[in-house]
Amino acid sequence: MILVLVEHEGGATTELTSQALAFGRSLAGDEPVDCVACIAPSQEIATDELGPGTLHLAEHDAYASLAPDAVAATVAGVVERTGARAVVAPGSDTGNDVLARVAARLDQPLASNCVAATAGEPARVTRTRWGGSLLEEAELDGAPLLLTVQPHAVAADVAGAPVAGVERFTPVLADADLAVRVADRVEAAGSGIALADANVVVSGGRGVGSTEGFAIIEELAGLLGAAVGCSRAVTMAGWRPHTDQVGQTGTKIAPELYIPCGISGATQHMAGCKGAKRILAIVDDAEAPILAGADYAVIGDLHEIVPAISAELRKARGS
Amino acid sequence: MRLGKPVERFGDVPVRVRNEAVIVLGQRKLLQRLVPGLVHAAIFWGFLVLFPTILLALAGVVDREPWLPHGSPLDWLASQGWFALLVDVFAVLVLAGVASALWIRKVQRPRRFEGSHLGEADLILGLIAGIVTTLLLWHATRIALGVNEWPASWSPVSNALSNLFGDGTATEVLERVFVWAHVLLILGFLVYLPHSKHLHIATAAINVFFGRTRARGRLEPLRFDDVPESELRFGAGTVSDLTWKEMVDTFSCTECGRCQDVCPAYATGKELSPKLLIMGLRDQLLAEGPKLLAARRGGEAYEPPPLVPGAVSDDVVWDCVTCGACIHECPVSIEHVDHIVDLRRHLVMVESRFPAEAEPMLRDVERSANPWGKPQAERAAWAEAVGVRVLEPDDPPPALLYWVGCAASFDERARRTAEATATLLRTAGVDFAILGPRESCTGDPARRMGNEYLFQEHARQNVETLNGAGVTRVVANCPHCFNTLANEYPDFGGSYEVVHHTELLAELVRDGRLSPAAAETPVTYHDSCYLARHNDVIASPRELVATVGRPVEMPRHGKRTFCCGAGGARMWMEERGSPINEERVREAAETGAGTLAVACPFCTVMLDDGVRQGGHDLRVADVAVLMAEALEPPGSE
Repeated sequence: MILVLVEHEGGATTELTSQALAFGRSLAGDEPVDCVACIAPSQEIATDELGPGTLHLAEHDAYASLAPDAVAATVAGVVERTGARAVVAPGSDTGNDVLARVAARLDQPLASNCVAATAGEPARVTRTRWGGSLLEEAELDGAPLLLTVQPHAVAADVAGAPVAGVERFTPVLADADLAVRVADRVEAAGSGIALADANVVVSGGRGVGSTEGFAIIEELAGLLGAAVGCSRAVTMAGWRPHTDQVGQTGTKIAPELYIPCGISGATQHMAGCKGAKRILAIVDDAEAPILAGADYAVIGDLHEIVPAISAELRKARGS
Repeated sequence: MRLGKPVERFGDVPVRVRNEAVIVLGQRKLLQRLVPGLVHAAIFWGFLVLFPTILLALAGVVDREPWLPHGSPLDWLASQGWFALLVDVFAVLVLAGVASALWIRKVQRPRRFEGSHLGEADLILGLIAGIVTTLLLWHATRIALGVNEWPASWSPVSNALSNLFGDGTATEVLERVFVWAHVLLILGFLVYLPHSKHLHIATAAINVFFGRTRARGRLEPLRFDDVPESELRFGAGTVSDLTWKEMVDTFSCTECGRCQDVCPAYATGKELSPKLLIMGLRDQLLAEGPKLLAARRGGEAYEPPPLVPGAVSDDVVWDCVTCGACIHECPVSIEHVDHIVDLRRHLVMVESRFPAEAEPMLRDVERSANPWGKPQAERAAWAEAVGVRVLEPDDPPPALLYWVGCAASFDERARRTAEATATLLRTAGVDFAILGPRESCTGDPARRMGNEYLFQEHARQNVETLNGAGVTRVVANCPHCFNTLANEYPDFGGSYEVVHHTELLAELVRDGRLSPAAAETPVTYHDSCYLARHNDVIASPRELVATVGRPVEMPRHGKRTFCCGAGGARMWMEERGSPINEERVREAAETGAGTLAVACPFCTVMLDDGVRQGGHDLRVADVAVLMAEALEPPGSE
């Protein structure tokens, strides 16, 4: 039997769990595939796609606060009870965290971030290394085999069936299992749109000239629903806080559209915006390195161009 | 010091003896600052000369005469006129030295003494003055009484002073008083010595002897694999992790503040002062050492408190640019940068505690083999346009390997240096090749950041590549690569003849293979720390500057250059206080030069940023770029 760890949010299983299930089913062949899920008593979980195997459903207050050791103890308990041959978990941060703890408890090796696996003696796995730039072929010993699945490497299996049965139980947890848990949740500081997640980012560089100069950048960002960023020169000069910095020593961004204004494009800056899909550079120096990385460019004084774009946007929207 | 961890400082004995002669006896490092140096030298040499008089006074305390067995060497020395003259001359020099020292401390009050124990120094100067004055007065009373062993005319000062005294009982009593006062002051001085910074008269000579004999740019490698667990260390977390040399360092500090005076971090308002760093470590060592020794005697375990933030703060550790100005100035061979790097090593490798903004750099060096996370496949992109040969795995060994470095490979501004260097080498008919995608970061930023483990991974891999390609001679653009390849890779099995591009180009100019068109425009040259101070490459870049313009020097140049602010992985950290690069650019602009020549890609970026921020009318360019331009026929592109 192969056991798949289920992660859930608001009662639904996560996308990465569906991928892990698909991975587990392909590894299982004709073997049954069971699931294990941990929920707090106040929670419920949809079971219509987790079958056709059994769902081992643990209930405990501890799970409300994440408590990876508590989940690991539960998974290890199910493994011992059912004699599962392999455990597959989503390669999310929590999935990797939990399965590493399961591996330590069972004293077995763990293969993280797998993209493929074939059963056998020993099993063979392909896993990503070095942030995805390298694929490693490895042999994996272990009873049970412990694997996490690289996110978005396998298609989610939508052919799930309702579970054959739900085995509810309340695990006995030691105090040590609760040592690591979420104590408090704090919203990220700062208002407006987070740089790292923004779809559009408008940044200002040294060319903006001053703290006050950012008014036109903020105006354009407001019209575009964009986050405001800046270059290292700006944070060094104290015009904007370091949290606004786009660059190697600041935030790395990956928007659909990036609009750097008055930024020459030092390597330090480009390292932070290389994830942008499209770059529209506004810069007064036709030799500026940013032009090498830009898809579109306006060569000229940002103090004229940026307000002109804002004005056009207003006109187009009739406001 | 029995608690110190081992470090290899016993080889190269001839160099150590020479250092002892030049730095201790010759006072060379003190004399880097002429006036305070002469003041110290007068007192130091004075005490060397006056040493026999201490023994004579100890004998003279017992009885006025006879002092010593007839015919003994001291007895002979006491009767010599030339020795009496020497004693008088040096006694006056010591007094003049003490007076000047007091004048410096009380009237000039230089900033370098901020944070030092000033009262201690005053007490010691007073004791020295007392010892020498009582010596002169004692000699004077002996002349007055006619019991002097030496011809009185040979000691002009004592002789003149003897006129103050008659030959009666009063003088007989005073003679006893002066010799007793003299001896008691000396004994008091010796008792006070171990409790004060004046301990340096014992420890400095030891510290100088065990100072570095190899290139200053080389850091001591940590050994992870082949050492017993008791010697395994991941930098310095507590005083029990310090090496014995680091301990002697702290006991040698005289709090003179020369290091603080030249420190770019301190000069720009950061918390770091190299002097206060060493004093902080010393205070913690003195507080915790006895507890550790007691615990060891009792067979108990005692874990001393952490050095950071106990002895120094986190900010102090991260402010350092590893420029080595402090080490160069220090008269007693303290190696501040080694302390900083050891503290960083512990914070990074054991506690994972370091400025968050540097984390992407470490990750990119680890994953992408360059500090900006650029694809390795693009490393040689610049070379295609210039037509540079990329060495393939099975090619025969190249006569010369051009190690381009990450900055010149990937940074838009620094790339021009690579293009210029390649063009110049080809013009001069030099056969060379680059490694292209097989070149990776040398690991320098990771190492200076304290991630020794990551550095050693890269060192091993690069040495394997270089040895595999049969490389024997390397030219490097980047002083940091240059330093690592030349001074640090030998520790990992990679020994090559490494030259900086300015050295190679200067050689080609001398051989007449490059003749750039001379110009009269003023050019000032900024010495990179890792070239000039750490590796003595000072003349070659200046020869090149002289071929393309009229050289003008900044006040701080050569081995006493001022950092651009990027060293020690500071390139990848946010700066507090006023920016170091802007301070340096102001100095360059004040020379009136229109061009600021550099020889380091990181200096190029930092100083160019400084120029833009400060709005100066200065062009920052690598010496190679200036040379390549001067070689082009006018009007060509």
